[in-house]
Amino acid sequence: MKRIVHFIALLLCSLGLIPAQAAEPVRIGFSIAKTGLFAQAAPSQITAYELWANQVNAAGGLDVAGDRRPVELVWFDDESDPAKSAQIYEKLISDEKVDLLLAPWGTPHHLNVAGVVERHGFPMVGNTAASVAVREVQPGNIWFSTSAIPDRIGPELAALAKQSGVKSVAIIANVLPFAQENLQFLVPALEAEGIEIALNESYPPDISDMTGLLSQIKAAGVDGIIALSYPADSFLYMGQAREVGIDVSFEFLLVGPTISAFSQAFGDFADGIVTIGHWSPHQSKWSRAKPFFDAYVAAYEMNPDYLDTALAYMSCEILEQAVATAGLDRDKLRTAIASSTFDTINGEVSFEGVENAVTPTAFLQLQGGDMHLIWPEDIATASFSPR
Amino acid sequence: MTSAFSLLKTRFVWFLFAGLLLIAQVPSILGSYWTLIALNLMMWVAITQSWTLFSGMTGYISLGHVVFYGVGAYVVASTFNTIPLWLAVPMGGIAAALLALVVSVPVLRVRGPYFVILTFGLAELVKFSILNLETVSGKSSRLLFGTPSIEILLYCMIGLVVLATLTTLFVTCSRFGRGLTVIREDEVAAATVGVPVLRYKIIAYTISAIVPGMAGGLMALKSTYFEVLQVFNPIISFTVVTMAIIGGSGDVRGPFLGAVFLVLLSELFWTTAPQFYMILVGLFLILFVIFAPNGIAAFLDKLQISRKSG
Repeated sequence: MKRIVHFIALLLCSLGLIPAQAAEPVRIGFSIAKTGLFAQAAPSQITAYELWANQVNAAGGLDVAGDRRPVELVWFDDESDPAKSAQIYEKLISDEKVDLLLAPWGTPHHLNVAGVVERHGFPMVGNTAASVAVREVQPGNIWFSTSAIPDRIGPELAALAKQSGVKSVAIIANVLPFAQENLQFLVPALEAEGIEIALNESYPPDISDMTGLLSQIKAAGVDGIIALSYPADSFLYMGQAREVGIDVSFEFLLVGPTISAFSQAFGDFADGIVTIGHWSPHQSKWSRAKPFFDAYVAAYEMNPDYLDTALAYMSCEILEQAVATAGLDRDKLRTAIASSTFDTINGEVSFEGVENAVTPTAFLQLQGGDMHLIWPEDIATASFSPR
Repeated sequence: MTSAFSLLKTRFVWFLFAGLLLIAQVPSILGSYWTLIALNLMMWVAITQSWTLFSGMTGYISLGHVVFYGVGAYVVASTFNTIPLWLAVPMGGIAAALLALVVSVPVLRVRGPYFVILTFGLAELVKFSILNLETVSGKSSRLLFGTPSIEILLYCMIGLVVLATLTTLFVTCSRFGRGLTVIREDEVAAATVGVPVLRYKIIAYTISAIVPGMAGGLMALKSTYFEVLQVFNPIISFTVVTMAIIGGSGDVRGPFLGAVFLVLLSELFWTTAPQFYMILVGLFLILFVIFAPNGIAAFLDKLQISRKSG
């Protein structure tokens, strides 16, 4: 009798008349700078994670080595504090018992978390971390998707400036590590290209007035400005550059211009700003790029952050494809991430050690309210246009 | 007059040491996340206890104790893999004490709000000086891989708590400690009756820098990433003062009670409502300043007295 009941239940299930027991969700944890100094950058990352999770769930769930399971995101606010971020990952792994991890925002957070994932042997694909220090990280549990590493940015940016006809520049730099590392490699690269550095000043991370610095730059009469800035100071720079009347042909801001709110806030005045970034939906070689852009705009009614949202989404794609082949077993997952080539919105990605070995260091420029790749030539979607 | 040895016999002190033994069991009972929380708790107790030794006893409110924590962390991070850690961590404490000794002469000449502002300014000055030094030397950040486990750091931090607590206990009961208390009550009168005011203040300030220096060194080893702005974060100084006020800055029990109270509050609320947590901390601080200015320790004493008399 029992067998008959089982058989009937199985039959009804297979016909879809009785819903099968829901698959257990795959819990994916991360920390986010929802409040604090880096709060402006957090939406770029969390929207990418949410969009990816929604898309995966809409498609029937995450492919875990052949089984489809829904995705559940588990996250906590790290208050922009890297030490708090490490504490959260400790909690996610040992207390919340998550199945997978996504990355926090920013280099200090990634490098603080590196020790936690190393200790637990828990693989994590990083995204918004860029530092020469990543090469000191033992390969095996963390990988960095970005190609915006300071020792590569310096020479490439100097070459771009030279090609754009820049003869003299003013540099202002945030004292935070990513900006300072860039400064360290940029200065010799500019000198090697024969570009005069008329001014080189650093400023604190919580700067609230740049008019003094900008007045000095204006008085220096340079034809290029390189601001090694973070999101909050990039916004401050633009607002005050307009007030001071800065007018140069080449203006570079390190982090911030790729955020949708940046071009919304400054409109035409932001046109021509150059920044770091290696993704654009206009690059037709990358078949996933435009569909991602369209899906993002449809979901959030704004453009994605061309740097951080793209990187965050790429890290999700890498994780998704690795889980499809390796499942949730950490050893298999580690091998899959380290040895596979992944198809992402930024084209193919594979890792050598902890670094993205495929994506070139590139630059974007705001042109007509849109972000275009202008460097290097083989992935460029437009030419540099002077301000 | 109470001697240090008779204080050691009090129920509360033995209760504290039993608590420390219990905390030492956290790694084997509650796992790695709670070990991290226990480490943070012990760090707060150690540096608040040291802060109390100077600020609680003299009444000179230092809003820049993070400078000693940061210097200790910097010594350990910058010598990592160069000298052994058993030497680097005490060196962090010595460097912090030397800094305190050097700056104490000008710093301790001012009082009241001027002293508060000066200590805060000093911490910022040292922070940005080291930041510039790191920038110039091309070391804006450092990675520290291969550090001791959190369990070992916890045991070392418990050792620092014991050291800080015993030091405060012995100082409290010594002639030196009584001199500091007189300075707090009336500095001019203290000088008049023969207390060597400046010397006592310098000694207390220097001693109070040692444990924060070593605690900073240990906490630098907790993270794989060292960044100057993190270890010189003024929030550390504000938190220490808050813990001392809430727990009671004139009592050896105060740092324990204040740290436990705030760490528990934080653990209860940070995952669910971090903004709510900060509002609660602010609210509690106001309530304590108004209704229990001498902190939880004095409040508990008052309760005990009223129970006995009732």
